[in-house]
Amino acid sequence: MDNAKATFWLSQFIGKNLRIHASDGRVFGGQLKCTDKDCNIILALTYEYRAPPAAVIEEAVKATGNPTAPVSWNSRYVGLVVIPGSDVTKIEFEESSYAKGQVAL
Amino acid sequence: MAQDPLRANTTPSEDAAGIAHVDGSGSAKHVRHVERHAEAGLPMRQALKQQHKIAETQIHDITEKFRTAAGALAVGQLVKDEYFTLFESITAIEIMDPKMDSGFLQPGETVEESYDALAPLLPEEVIGIMDQLLSYEMAWHTGYPLSQTLFTSVYIDKLLYPESRVFEEAQFYRGFVPDDKRPGVLLEVLRAYCLALIKCCDFVIAKIVGRDYYEEEDFCTHTYNRVLFVQVPMDVFQRELNAAMERLVEEETDMDEVLRNALVTRLEFRLDMLTALDLECPIERLQKYWPTILKSLTLIDETHHLGEPVPDAFSTKIQRRLASTVPPRPIVELDFKDAFQKLRQLCDDCVEATRFAALPVDPLEYQSFLWSYASRTPAPLPYSRAYLSTILFHPNTLNTSMSVPLMDLRTLLLPASPILDQSNWTLSPPRDILMPKPPRLQLALLIDEFTERAGQNYIDLWTALGQNRCRLRRMLGHVILGWDQLCQDTAAVDEDLMRVVHDMGIEDEVFPFPLTTWVYHKKLWMMEKMVLLGFEQDIYFPDEFAGMYHFLSEISSGRRTILFRIQAHISDRIYALQDHRTTSKSTSTSPPPSNPQDQPATQQSQDLHDAHTYLTSLLHEATATTALAAALSTFYIITLYLRLLPYPIRPFSTELLRHELRMKPFLTLQPPEVQAFDESVKSLQPYGPYLEPDDKRVWRELGDKEGLLWRVVDERLKEAKEGLQGLKKGGAGVARAGGVQAEWEEEVKRGLKSCVALGVAVAGVKGVVGALAEVGRDGGGHGGKGLGEDLGIRLEIPGIGEGKRYSEGWVVGKVGKVDKGKGKGKGK
Repeated sequence: MDNAKATFWLSQFIGKNLRIHASDGRVFGGQLKCTDKDCNIILALTYEYRAPPAAVIEEAVKATGNPTAPVSWNSRYVGLVVIPGSDVTKIEFEESSYAKGQVAL
Repeated sequence: MAQDPLRANTTPSEDAAGIAHVDGSGSAKHVRHVERHAEAGLPMRQALKQQHKIAETQIHDITEKFRTAAGALAVGQLVKDEYFTLFESITAIEIMDPKMDSGFLQPGETVEESYDALAPLLPEEVIGIMDQLLSYEMAWHTGYPLSQTLFTSVYIDKLLYPESRVFEEAQFYRGFVPDDKRPGVLLEVLRAYCLALIKCCDFVIAKIVGRDYYEEEDFCTHTYNRVLFVQVPMDVFQRELNAAMERLVEEETDMDEVLRNALVTRLEFRLDMLTALDLECPIERLQKYWPTILKSLTLIDETHHLGEPVPDAFSTKIQRRLASTVPPRPIVELDFKDAFQKLRQLCDDCVEATRFAALPVDPLEYQSFLWSYASRTPAPLPYSRAYLSTILFHPNTLNTSMSVPLMDLRTLLLPASPILDQSNWTLSPPRDILMPKPPRLQLALLIDEFTERAGQNYIDLWTALGQNRCRLRRMLGHVILGWDQLCQDTAAVDEDLMRVVHDMGIEDEVFPFPLTTWVYHKKLWMMEKMVLLGFEQDIYFPDEFAGMYHFLSEISSGRRTILFRIQAHISDRIYALQDHRTTSKSTSTSPPPSNPQDQPATQQSQDLHDAHTYLTSLLHEATATTALAAALSTFYIITLYLRLLPYPIRPFSTELLRHELRMKPFLTLQPPEVQAFDESVKSLQPYGPYLEPDDKRVWRELGDKEGLLWRVVDERLKEAKEGLQGLKKGGAGVARAGGVQAEWEEEVKRGLKSCVALGVAVAGVKGVVGALAEVGRDGGGHGGKGLGEDLGIRLEIPGIGEGKRYSEGWVVGKVGKVDKGKGKGKGK
């Protein structure tokens, strides 16, 4: 991918909702504002999501008898954050059905 | 575990929608849709229908491609929103940075609390927790955020989060709890206490934020998105407390009597506190509440030792769940003894504040009260200040029959004046608008115009007086500028007023240009206070003392001149009235038309006499300030020549720049109050520069105890003492400080003590100046030989807050002997 192409491709996601998984397991959902060569990512209007502790999950599984029982994640509004590229483990794009096809994946 | 972790959770998406609405980014999306439909030319209704389609979000993993694309970017190249600026980016919180990321966990650390809030407690532990909460509450009052104080309590956290929809939900648990885990009586007691405590915080925040001017530097109102039962009325909390007390007495029969009483005392204290903090307290009943609290304080203090601390019930972890962008900070540990001290102070200050409601309706009394309240040591806490200003700005205080600035004006300048005759306001304008209005009506209209203009400035002054001392000084700077503008605006009104007065032929009864004079007088008074506050707060360096006291003396003497003129005018009026009475008695003519008809002559003469005594008191005060400032200024000039004060060489500044800096708040004032730099140098350095005096008479003059400068000090000091004694004799009531008599007398006494201290210091320096003749023989440029510590004395400047100054605003140096063995031994 050459520079112009990469720039175009990345700029499609500006202002779109991304979910960034951090190395400690937290997930940050917010609007992409800025990124660079090292994959440092700035998100605006971000929420932080954290998985409940193992004990709570175990309990939920035990209570329902269903190994894929849903548990609720803790969330918290954190606003404008920058996630260092080294701590980004996974990047997901939330495509809303309204804006379908606007972004060439 | 669900495939898509976020879908399992409904709360965040709701929250996200809420946020999107608030900041408007959501609406942008909305607009885009509408545009698109409009382009398609579809009717509006269908466009609306389409919006109801449930938004299906599809998740795409783009990690690999994103990384590749990012890798193709040049070093330093950014792909960014075109409106996203560097400035904005620096506010971003860096995730995984332990100093910034409040959600970053150290290895092995968890967010969840391990403390079980439903575990039964011993009565001792409940007392311990209650007292700890009290300490944190007071730490919060002194300026720490809730996140580091009360919000570290697991119990409070449980009550507040998740937010309860109905009040009954605010328990230490949410949802269903098996019967054996249900909280017992003691936990219910603790719950009632915590609930009331939370409501107290809500009241405190509401009261402080309710003021026009609350101080974020002094007090932290942030609640981190926790709602402190704002909507729940107070009686609900009172009911909880009462129920807890009842259950404690009825159900815990086998508890130790002492412990139970200690618990009941704490609940009662909370109940009283809640009542006293209530925002809707009727002003006339305020005085009743605080004394009861003060009484229960002693009992709490006595039973504090019974409590057993439960440190696990408090945790910094809770901060991670607060809507805060800072990582957890340590809990603020305020010792119970100190916290208790603060609490007592809070109550005392509030008791003092309630006395305001009983003051006579007189803005000058209010002013004295505010001044003395602001001077209280230790400085009142933000809540107490907000409490006082709520009473001050209560409609009852402000809605007087006569506007507040006008009352002040009348007392100083226009007692029994035809200008302020009530009947002026009863006249109606002529029906024919072309006819001139009757002159008295014109007076009334002009005065109305003035009071309307001056009202805000007056309130500004009061607001400033309600702040802490440091802010008071800074705000006075702004208020003075406001009054300066007012002074200029008033000049036009005054001219019209004087024209009408001239037309009516009552010039004898009116002080010329009364409104401007009043405003100007007030402005000078504020400037004096501002300079004195500067001394009080150690704004000036010792080598600047001479200059600043000189400036103070100049302002004050200007004010004194005005007061003299006003007093002379009032005296004239008193004589005129007496003359008139004797003549009218003998000739029994009808009173002249200018004589206010509805005011009997005796009342008039009484008013005039009152004004006269008030002016005498003001004059004494102004004289004392002028003279003491002049004496100090001269004393410091002498000590600068004698090199008894440190006179640092400042290579990067000049005297001119320093002069400008100090005078900055006053430079724009009209008429100019600040002496030009050259002028001030002439008066401050009569013998040339301090280090290299070029006038050779200097040593002879300073060496002679009857030299010019020494004579000035002695005379002015005597004058100051006389002024203060006169002021003291007149009393607080005459000085319009009857409401704070004790404090006022104390202040005058401190002034007198400062005079005495200066006298002692002067004598101390005079005792060693005999040796100066020798210095004179060598000439000035000898490098300071025989000066400074060589004189055998040392001048110590007492610092602030050490209790070594008699009056914080009057800095009087203390003369001490230099240890001969240590010194060069050449002094005497």
